[in-house]
Amino acid sequence: MKTIFIIAGRTWKTAFSNPATLALTLILGLALCLATFIGWQNFKSQNAQRLKYKELVREKWLEKPDKHPHRMAHYGYLAFRDKHELSFFDFGIESFAGVSIFLEAHKQNTVNFSEAGFSNGMLRFGEMSVAMVLQLLVPLLIFFLGYSSISAERESGTLKIILCQGVSWRQLLFGKTLGIITLSFSLFIPIILLTVLLWAMLSEWQVSADSSLRLAFLVLSYTIYFIICAGIAVLISAFHRSSKAALTTLLILWVFFAIVMPRITQALGVILYPAPSKMEFAAAIGSDLHEQGDSHDPDDPHYAQLKAAVLKQYQVDDVKKLPFNYGGYVMAEGEKISAGIYNQHQQELNKNFEQQNSFSVAASYLNPFLAIKNLSMALTAADFKTYIDFQAQAEAYRYGLAQRMNKLQIEKISNIAPGEKEKPLSISRSNWAEQPDFQYKFKPVSNVISNHLWSILSLFCWLFAVLIVLGFSSRRLKALS
Amino acid sequence: MNPTIYRLEFKLFFRNKAALSGILILLISGFAGLYFGKKFIRQQDLVIEKAGRMQQEQTSTNIKHFGKDPGLLLYHNKFSMVNVPDRWAAFANGQRDINPYLLPVTMLAVEGQIYDTDLSNPSTLLLGNMDLAFVFIFLFPLVIIAFTYSLLSSDQESGVWAVLKSQSGNLLRLIWRKFSIRVFSIFAVALVLMISALFYLQLPADLRFLVVLLLLSLYLLFWFSLSFWVISLGRSSNYNAVLLISFWVVLNIIAPAMLNVWLTQQYPVPEALETLVKQREGYHEKWDIDKSKTMDKFYQHYPQFKQYPFPAELSFSWYWYYAMQQMGDDEALPGAMSMSEKLIKRHHFTNLSSLFLPGIQTQLRLNELAGSDLENHLNFQKAVKAYHEKIRLYFYPLIFQNKTIAKVQWDKFKVAPYTGHTTGNVWQHLLSVGILVLLFTTLAIYNFRKRISLF
Repeated sequence: MKTIFIIAGRTWKTAFSNPATLALTLILGLALCLATFIGWQNFKSQNAQRLKYKELVREKWLEKPDKHPHRMAHYGYLAFRDKHELSFFDFGIESFAGVSIFLEAHKQNTVNFSEAGFSNGMLRFGEMSVAMVLQLLVPLLIFFLGYSSISAERESGTLKIILCQGVSWRQLLFGKTLGIITLSFSLFIPIILLTVLLWAMLSEWQVSADSSLRLAFLVLSYTIYFIICAGIAVLISAFHRSSKAALTTLLILWVFFAIVMPRITQALGVILYPAPSKMEFAAAIGSDLHEQGDSHDPDDPHYAQLKAAVLKQYQVDDVKKLPFNYGGYVMAEGEKISAGIYNQHQQELNKNFEQQNSFSVAASYLNPFLAIKNLSMALTAADFKTYIDFQAQAEAYRYGLAQRMNKLQIEKISNIAPGEKEKPLSISRSNWAEQPDFQYKFKPVSNVISNHLWSILSLFCWLFAVLIVLGFSSRRLKALS
Repeated sequence: MNPTIYRLEFKLFFRNKAALSGILILLISGFAGLYFGKKFIRQQDLVIEKAGRMQQEQTSTNIKHFGKDPGLLLYHNKFSMVNVPDRWAAFANGQRDINPYLLPVTMLAVEGQIYDTDLSNPSTLLLGNMDLAFVFIFLFPLVIIAFTYSLLSSDQESGVWAVLKSQSGNLLRLIWRKFSIRVFSIFAVALVLMISALFYLQLPADLRFLVVLLLLSLYLLFWFSLSFWVISLGRSSNYNAVLLISFWVVLNIIAPAMLNVWLTQQYPVPEALETLVKQREGYHEKWDIDKSKTMDKFYQHYPQFKQYPFPAELSFSWYWYYAMQQMGDDEALPGAMSMSEKLIKRHHFTNLSSLFLPGIQTQLRLNELAGSDLENHLNFQKAVKAYHEKIRLYFYPLIFQNKTIAKVQWDKFKVAPYTGHTTGNVWQHLLSVGILVLLFTTLAIYNFRKRISLF
């Protein structure tokens, strides 16, 4: 064990005696600080903007005068997607997902106004965040530091001397890996401390247990990721005859894993599980609606039956004689049917999207970059699951609002329609406050873990694979070039 | 020029396994890019084809249900406009996955409708499309780096250079010969891919093809010149590789990523949410105020409709309803205008910063030429607004006079196509990338002239 530490210490010292290493580490450290700061600023301003309009929407809602409840149902509500407090760490899909959704009766709208929609294409090159630096650039640094770790010793002939002195291959490999890990941690640990501090300040020292746990898992995941990267660098270096060849291989791996493969896996997922366009999606809902009952169709059999049943139950011959507002009753039924159909289709669509995404989850067993990318997004609540959860909560709120207004109409609006020239019916504005404000609730971290078991497992698979190869590859390695 | 020496150099170059695998990687990913890019656009073409038929079906259902009440019919009926993908969009998918290409609008306030997005998987949008433009912008430079970084240093490290130096008179010409062979190979691959694109994507062989070829050539030359300059520094292979990869990472990843967050921070678009709130309030508050106020404003906008009598005594009329809807648009207009001004500012900023970033510069110009950029989408939105206005002006008199729809020429309102792309900024690319190419080449030649005997 002692030998391993000595080798690790040597690696650390040698690397830092090289001015290039120092410069690269400093630049990366600076980039990380900048990314933390920018991410924080971004979170603050974006959230402030959404909060401002959220409050405005509530204020306007409460201000509405006496009205017919169905007018209020159409006035509807605007919901804004909250950013999680950890989203400053990893932007994930944030910029590619919409921000606001208009919630109204009878109609499910899309989440609109994503940052990507305001971009002329530069966004496609990536966004600077702590996660991007840790996922993409730190591994590159690790590769730069590690490519010559063994091969240079071999080239200079010191390798056989080390091995002659009683150091085993296993000790050498683990020692070198440990040295590089320590190197990357000397960059990683201060940044994590800074992140924790910033984040605590951001939440005004009111840190929730759930978010702390999320951050702890993030730190753990990145630690494992760096160990994997350092192990790969040392192994590639050990298996190549020259440093130059090792460097080339490592750079090719980096480009392929981080740049090319993510696009290809997702593109394959999209082709193998094609999702319907909005038009086809709407048409499918329309045809289901037509089968189950379309309240807009005057000759619809379902509503004819409903009418007959109600008339029979109250023993009257005309809906006008019913003791409650029949229009509201029909709308409540219509909302129930259409929302049910919509939810079913939306769930199918989400499943379709998840099938597309499952390719990149499966590919994380081939590519540790994808494993950490998926996991990091999930832990900072900037992933696909959080997005569809927002959609689902917004839709549940929309349905609740529409049905509350229908209920008010059934109970409080006269069943006898006023004449064409008479004042329209209305109810008191005091009813509006009964509708609570929309408040998105983030799922707890336990949910993230159960949703992303495969990604977590893949990261551990990589860790064990690297450790096993480090421990048992000595037989295949040669001391001489 | 000595053709046999060139042939020998070629042989030497291709004896290297890396050369063949580099070319193979480019060809395979290039063809994959062509396939994925075309597939993506084909999907949009199919939807557009269907849209025409579906709109007709829906219109006839709506007429069946609401035909007796034109106001109600127009409340439900949707008129679509499609942003028809250019053939080049398969080459550079650009923002076509993010922005909707099919916008169905009813006669209600248009501001509440044109920002609706398509159903899309945000994870797919995040990872981006794999088109041929991506291969050119991201992968070609890497292979160029791989081909050239050890051009001089490997000979120095293996000791061949000392022999060459003692035997050859003109060392610069020697380096140039090796270099030009690599340039030639890369350009040959690029040409093969472009000609394949010409046939596979059915691109028209016109001026635009030549312009794209020119842009791409300059971009590739930029990386060659950068690499040439790094070689001229006379350092070790490993140093060159690290330096060149760092350049690639900074130019194509870090700098754009920094600019993006800075842009988001510097030019936020609260106008979007402002417009949304204004449109909704502008229309809905009219239900609770005196009808004459709404109608006065409406007649200010459309004096020509004053001639139709307004049924003020009715508690509800479609006349009043559409006037209220119109107010939603009118009151959201300032917000919408300042939103598009903000987007133009963003556009200027990216254009300016891309002067120093050839990767972004090339991507932006390709997207423009392919009609898959933000500007194209904004123009599409404008076209939808114009189409919406045409629909309004046609149907308003009909509804205001309570006429039947018997004489409506529905043929006039089939799915309307929008096509277009811009070319305005090609010169900017030629100048900025051209100057960078000249700069690095000059620096490299200067270095070589000064120091070649020392290497």
